[in-house]
Amino acid sequence: MKLSPKFKIGIIIILLIALFAILNLTPAKKETKNFFYLISSPVQKTLWRAGMETSDFFEMISEMKNLKKENEELKLRIQELISENISLKELKKENEILRQALKIGLQEEFKLEFSQVTGIDISDDTILINKGLKDGVSKDLPVITEQKTLVGRISEVYKNFSKVQLITHKEISFAAEIEDYNQETPILGEMKGKGNLKLLLDLVPQEKEIKKGDVIITTALGGIFPKGLLVGEIQEVFKSDIEPWQQAEVKPAFDIKKLETLFIILEF
Amino acid sequence: MKRLLFLFFCFYFLTLIQTSFLIHFNLGWQLGFLPVLFLVIFINFFEGPSENIGIPSAFLAGFFLDIFSENFIGFHILILLLVSLFIKFILKKYMQIPVWEKIKK
Repeated sequence: MKLSPKFKIGIIIILLIALFAILNLTPAKKETKNFFYLISSPVQKTLWRAGMETSDFFEMISEMKNLKKENEELKLRIQELISENISLKELKKENEILRQALKIGLQEEFKLEFSQVTGIDISDDTILINKGLKDGVSKDLPVITEQKTLVGRISEVYKNFSKVQLITHKEISFAAEIEDYNQETPILGEMKGKGNLKLLLDLVPQEKEIKKGDVIITTALGGIFPKGLLVGEIQEVFKSDIEPWQQAEVKPAFDIKKLETLFIILEF
Repeated sequence: MKRLLFLFFCFYFLTLIQTSFLIHFNLGWQLGFLPVLFLVIFINFFEGPSENIGIPSAFLAGFFLDIFSENFIGFHILILLLVSLFIKFILKKYMQIPVWEKIKK
């Protein structure tokens, strides 16, 4: 019996459908797949690893084109972040100084203007600060540190900057008193700048006893500086029976090397 | 029979390469499907009129693709069989390239 081609095709299609049905509708599907997965597993693992390594290699080659660009972008970003970091650090420092100043009560006592030192001229006992006319700074205003230490006074005012004569400047002299809680009347004297960061206490009456280590503060006399600002500490006393006054070498309370942030007393 | 056995292993390893090796190259499903599909098309295109390996090739290729894919068994078989039959129909109607016969001779 010879089967016609159409019949053959029909039988094949029916067989195929039956095969698919058996494979998909019975657990045979899982068994078949499992069998092939099992025998293919070692080859698959090798191929998988090889594929991964090869694709990594090609990916690396294609990435190399972008690496230079990415590197430049990252360098730029680093620079941006560094400058941002610096400005944030400055702000933090400024904030801390202001907090400290508030703690001391400077803000309550005086009307202050915060400023930063931009230049120092030790030979001339002057410093340059970054506040000027536009910030309300005017000549002769006192300049102090956040620790309430007297630094000097404004000698010249520019639009954005000001020059500060340190209290050690030769042109500066002001009334001061020696802090001594044991005495009822304060020991008064005159502070004179000697230049080169040196200070001299003069016009102290002979009968008054002063010694090394005594602390000198400003007094309201003369109205140049507000009362109670720290000036310095006596280093050496010069006493002579011939002279009507005694003198003393005073070490300024501020450290020129550490002068970074200052306050200008606008009103006192 | 030998030829069928050769095709069996050929499609088996080609499917393994396709599913384990080429999958890493971010070619996507469509492109990953291509090597086996290309081989099926190639066999069907260049087999002689008296050769009968085109349909079995499509079946084997589809079977292995189904084994190593999440589809039901028969999905790729049907697609590749249809492709194979379509090529055969086109070749029978419009052209014939007796490459296989020439190689055989």
